[in-house]
Amino acid sequence: MTQEQTNILQGTLDLLILKTLRLGEMHGLGISRRIEQITQGTFSVKTGSLFPALRRMQEEGWIKSAWGESEANRKAKYYRLTKAGMRRLEVETAKWERIVLGISRTLEAS
Amino acid sequence: MTKKVRSGMLQRAISLLRNVMHRAQDERELAEELDAHLSLAIEEKVRSGMKPEEAERAAHIELGGVEQVKELVRDARAGAWLDTLVRDCRFALRMSRKNPGFTAVVVLTLAFGIAANTTVLSWISATLLNPIPGVAHTSDLVTVMRGDRTDHPTPPFSYPDLRDLSERTQTFSGLLGYHDDYMSLTGAAKPERIYGALTTANYFDVLGVHPILGRAFLPEEGTLHAGAAVIVIGYAVWQYHFAGDPRIVGKTIQINRHPYTVVGVAPRDFTGCAPGLRTELWIPVSMDRDVWGFNRPDYRGIFWLNVLGKLRSGVTKNQAQAELNLLMRGIAERFPEDHRDSPNEISLDPLWRSPFGINGYLYKILPMLLGLAGVLLVLACANVASLLLVRSVGRRREIAIRLATGASRQRIIRQFLIEGLLLGLLGGTAAIVITVWTSRSLSAFFPPSTLPFTHDEHVDQRVLFVTIAVSILAAIISGVLPALRSSSLPVQSVLKEEATSVSLTLHKSRLLSGLVVAQISLSLVLLVCAGLFTRSLQKAQQSDPGFEASHLLLASYELSPAGYTRATGVAFNRQVIDRLSALPGVESVTLADFSPLSFSIHTDYLQIEGYVPQPHESMEISRAIVGPNYFRTLRTSVISGREFTEADTQDSQLVAVVNQAFVDRYLPGEDPIGKQVTDWGDRFTIVGVARNAKYRLLTYPAEPVIYLPMYQAYSPTHDTTIHLRTTGDPRTIASSVEETIHQLNPELPLFNVNPLSVTMQLGTLFGRVAATFAGSFGLLAMLLAAVGIYGVVAYSTRQRAREIGIRMALGAERGGIYRLVLGQGFRLTLAGLVVGTALAVAFTRLLKAQLFGVSETDPITFASVGLLLAVVALLACHIPARRATRVDPMVALRYE
Repeated sequence: MTQEQTNILQGTLDLLILKTLRLGEMHGLGISRRIEQITQGTFSVKTGSLFPALRRMQEEGWIKSAWGESEANRKAKYYRLTKAGMRRLEVETAKWERIVLGISRTLEAS
Repeated sequence: MTKKVRSGMLQRAISLLRNVMHRAQDERELAEELDAHLSLAIEEKVRSGMKPEEAERAAHIELGGVEQVKELVRDARAGAWLDTLVRDCRFALRMSRKNPGFTAVVVLTLAFGIAANTTVLSWISATLLNPIPGVAHTSDLVTVMRGDRTDHPTPPFSYPDLRDLSERTQTFSGLLGYHDDYMSLTGAAKPERIYGALTTANYFDVLGVHPILGRAFLPEEGTLHAGAAVIVIGYAVWQYHFAGDPRIVGKTIQINRHPYTVVGVAPRDFTGCAPGLRTELWIPVSMDRDVWGFNRPDYRGIFWLNVLGKLRSGVTKNQAQAELNLLMRGIAERFPEDHRDSPNEISLDPLWRSPFGINGYLYKILPMLLGLAGVLLVLACANVASLLLVRSVGRRREIAIRLATGASRQRIIRQFLIEGLLLGLLGGTAAIVITVWTSRSLSAFFPPSTLPFTHDEHVDQRVLFVTIAVSILAAIISGVLPALRSSSLPVQSVLKEEATSVSLTLHKSRLLSGLVVAQISLSLVLLVCAGLFTRSLQKAQQSDPGFEASHLLLASYELSPAGYTRATGVAFNRQVIDRLSALPGVESVTLADFSPLSFSIHTDYLQIEGYVPQPHESMEISRAIVGPNYFRTLRTSVISGREFTEADTQDSQLVAVVNQAFVDRYLPGEDPIGKQVTDWGDRFTIVGVARNAKYRLLTYPAEPVIYLPMYQAYSPTHDTTIHLRTTGDPRTIASSVEETIHQLNPELPLFNVNPLSVTMQLGTLFGRVAATFAGSFGLLAMLLAAVGIYGVVAYSTRQRAREIGIRMALGAERGGIYRLVLGQGFRLTLAGLVVGTALAVAFTRLLKAQLFGVSETDPITFASVGLLLAVVALLACHIPARRATRVDPMVALRYE
């Protein structure tokens, strides 16, 4: 584990999870490893944040879950994106890009 | 956009429903998923080269506690609040069932505290807040009083004055006048006494009361000499005397032997507009001659009407008062002769403190009792808070474990508050049950009386609503301290430490000591109030009323409805005295137009020879019409001159007896014998002076009274009350008295046949109400304080068992241990007494006006109450102290 882990920004966890699940269905541990891997360890997702987030997104209807088997034939719960989730991803992405643009402009201006 | 929002809400609603329905399955799946997650993580670490044990440890650390994650997921669930609420409630129920004793004590404590308030409130609601049953909105109604405001005002207006005010006022939409007294429903075999009123024609319209059958009075029926022999009857009269006859309107009935046409039936709830008095017949004022044999509406100088006004919207009471004062001054200037004998200042009162009827007394004592009940409730809350606090210390481990396994601080606070709320609502429910019973207790204080008292105290919606609100408030007040205390536990240390040593800190807890001190001091306040009221009542009851009440039987009859005139009435009264004197066991007999201490004495406007009244000084003086031997029978001594005899008749000189207060007030330093007093144009010569006797309330100072002889000043329209001095128990002679009267006139009803010692209870009514309720609040308070101090001392002693064991093992004497524990209780008690005394001194100042013969800082009351409370508190501490001395050091030390 690297020393320069950053806590995930408030509100961006949903976006990261949605984006990760865009690639295909995945279990909880898979999601958190994937995020660590893609961000090269900048973000680590704590279990205590991941599962409540998955739960909440499921109840919003953005993702669905089903029991399945892992690569090593172990039982695991797999999550996948729904149509509503796809739309949500677009909304969240657009929102995030606006924020980034805004912040960069602010930083450049000074 | 809207569609999306809606679908999102729908989605959440579905999730909520699913969560509620499939909770168990949900929990199972969550556990399985986290289990699977852990296995995957371990496997991943093993694959990357860790040893299995090491991998497992690392995976657990990464996860950070299965239970905590579960808790977080649960919180994220839709409807999580509902879920936890249900679980908290269930847990609270389980906790209360586990400790039935504790639950019972807490629930009962709260129930008594709340019930004390709701009982008083149910009276306030039925009397002060609902002054005219059957009239929903009384906020714009005011009583109009002329002259000094006294505790026992007489009707202040004449009919012409009222008519002038009504015609000119701009601030009132209506002014009604009425005069109430007993009427007799005649025509049937026996006349029936029913309280009724002569009213102005607008009476029902101003009050907004619509008869359920027929109509109210027409304006023309109000004009004088209209000869409108019409009557509106009350619902109860209609039901009981006319069997609810649906065609009663238009029929003719007899009142005081004159025929009246029934024009309407009043609604069931409506019983007139004098608070606390039940009026059931209404006749236009112009019928005064037929009903009571006078022509009072014709005279501007005869004040006999009570007046109620309905303010125009937007007009304040002060504006209306200013206007009426202006108008009244004008009237007094135009008719100075008629308004010289009394002040003409007008004052308006809202109905809750209307000087007419019972509210004039109740508005002073009920709010005071509510204040005492409030103190009791605060005490009960302090008691419950201390009990909950003690128990919460016993639950520190449970709470620490819950905090450690991921419960948030809010969650713990909520849990405590829900437990408190459950206890509060149980207490509130019990309080309502108690109140249903106690709300009727006010009626029990009313002795048999000639007045038509009505009281309808019951648990209404208002009381119910306040009970629930108060229960919740009490629960929060008493639950919040333990909740805050417990939720901020240092989890680690609690879990590491021994349960016993943790609790050791409790007996030093300032908070808990503070609660105990509060309980002792508040109960001292309540006990002092109880003591003062009780002593004041005792003083009143022991005070010399100026007559001897024992061995006196009273019985009343009314002659005019039975067809008697002045002449035949006097003859009948003579016969009554002769026949009753002859009865065995009768020492002496007399008659009077009133009886002592029953609010029945009349007044008249007098002119006294040699006394010049101040301008507008009220010369309205209590006037008693009494038979021969009145003073001998009542044992009120005649100081100088003589009393009335059989020889004082219409043919002899008109004579009067006055009391000492009369002489002191109007004829000081003069010889009153031979002075003349004019009453209704007749000049009476004073022939005797009697010592003072109290006829209204025992707690009032003696007031001037003039006595006139029955055979000279008799009017058959007033009740006549037989006063009979017996040698034995007056009750035993009651039946032969009734028989005798029956022989003289078989159709004359005799009413209120009671010993004077019973009926005069009315004179101490309010003192007894105050003493009884303050007394019960005080005793309850003492009990609660005793339970409170016992609970805290017993608990801390139990927790100190080990310390005590060590002390004893090291050679401490049992006496020393006893003193150690008792000393703790003693210090708390002492602090409570000091604080309580200071509070009581501040509080009792408010009672001053209600006390009789006792100072509000009466040292005897303060000292004896303090002593009593100290003894009770120490007795409560004695039990745990004794128990402490029996601690076996070996057992206590081995307990680890």
